[in-house]
Amino acid sequence: MIRLVSRRIRSLPAAVAAAVLVVGGALPAIGQDPSDPLSRLDATSRFAVEAIIDSAFAAGLPGAALHSKALEGISKKADTKKIVDAVRKGFLNLKTARATLGGVPDEELIAAAAVLEAGAKPTQLSVFRERKKGRSDLEAFTVWADLMSRGVPLDDASSAISKLWQDGADDMTFHRLWNDVQSDISSGLNPGAALLNRIRESPTRPPKSTPEE
Amino acid sequence: MTDSELHPYVELIAREARRPVVTDPAARQRIMAAVRAESPPRRLRFWHRAVQPRAFTISPAVGGLLAAGLVGIGVIAGGLRANRDGQMSAGPLVAAPQLPVSDTVVKFVFAAPNASQVSLVGDFNGWDGEKTKMVRAGKSGMWTVTLPLTAGRHLYAFLVDGTWYADPTEPLAGDDGFGHANSVRIVARGVGL
Repeated sequence: MIRLVSRRIRSLPAAVAAAVLVVGGALPAIGQDPSDPLSRLDATSRFAVEAIIDSAFAAGLPGAALHSKALEGISKKADTKKIVDAVRKGFLNLKTARATLGGVPDEELIAAAAVLEAGAKPTQLSVFRERKKGRSDLEAFTVWADLMSRGVPLDDASSAISKLWQDGADDMTFHRLWNDVQSDISSGLNPGAALLNRIRESPTRPPKSTPEE
Repeated sequence: MTDSELHPYVELIAREARRPVVTDPAARQRIMAAVRAESPPRRLRFWHRAVQPRAFTISPAVGGLLAAGLVGIGVIAGGLRANRDGQMSAGPLVAAPQLPVSDTVVKFVFAAPNASQVSLVGDFNGWDGEKTKMVRAGKSGMWTVTLPLTAGRHLYAFLVDGTWYADPTEPLAGDDGFGHANSVRIVARGVGL
């Protein structure tokens, strides 16, 4: 028979203190919620991502979009460094968009940040600072980012979208422009030429595009 | 003028008071033993027993079981709290992504004739490839799913047998920073499908 070596513990408080120490040591493991996708990041990356998100919230920026970006990276099995970089870049673009546009709804701010992400310059975005009450630039920003993603030269895309906006084009006009241009590109037309052709047909035709810088 | 000059009894009392007191060294121990032997009043008996120091023995095995039990209680309590709140309160200040409740129902379609599994993944489902599975529409090779979305701008992509694809029928959002492209769906309030 194996005899366990008994040890004398002086008092009940000492026993409780020992148990608390054991439980306290185990608490960090208990605190990790396996259902939280961010827990799949290593500790350093997670700390960095959460710090950026907290900074965004503190600055009045839509931090949820950055959280979503981190989740996207995790879902796409991206390298953790790329995830942190993408979240940080998103934060900077949101800050720039806020500084350029002022107080706009969160989703428009996110769309504007996407335009910056696609390559537009803050000065090109500043045209959208002036707007009529209730007018949304969501569709314009979406089409703008798409055109740049498809290879339309940055200045051509920016000039066309800005002018359409200043001429009062509505969401349908922007969407129709996108539909026509992407159709032409799919047919094999050069992206820049496709945009210029369709702009000429647009009812609110902007003047010939001129590079801003 | 001294006290003795006032009254002879004062001098007598003072003399007695100045004389050192000699006590039996064992008297204090006898008194304390008698006090300890006295049982405490009935109403204080429980308290007396609770605060009285005592020694007891505990084996390492029993000590380990006690600690494991406390850890178990902590885990159960944490689980109950997580279930009640829907998320751990210690996490980041961001709500867990859920499919939003909206009156705008949106249909997504993707053509993948040879695929065995297609999922719709986006910011509306926390980029979780398991949450929104698409259904093959007959033998056409078209995969569809319909879901309610809040009005606004949504980023998404299709996950086809482990490979990411943008939606060819909607605007691109550009490089996602991870080497893929997302699509954008703008949902107008009350307008869907």
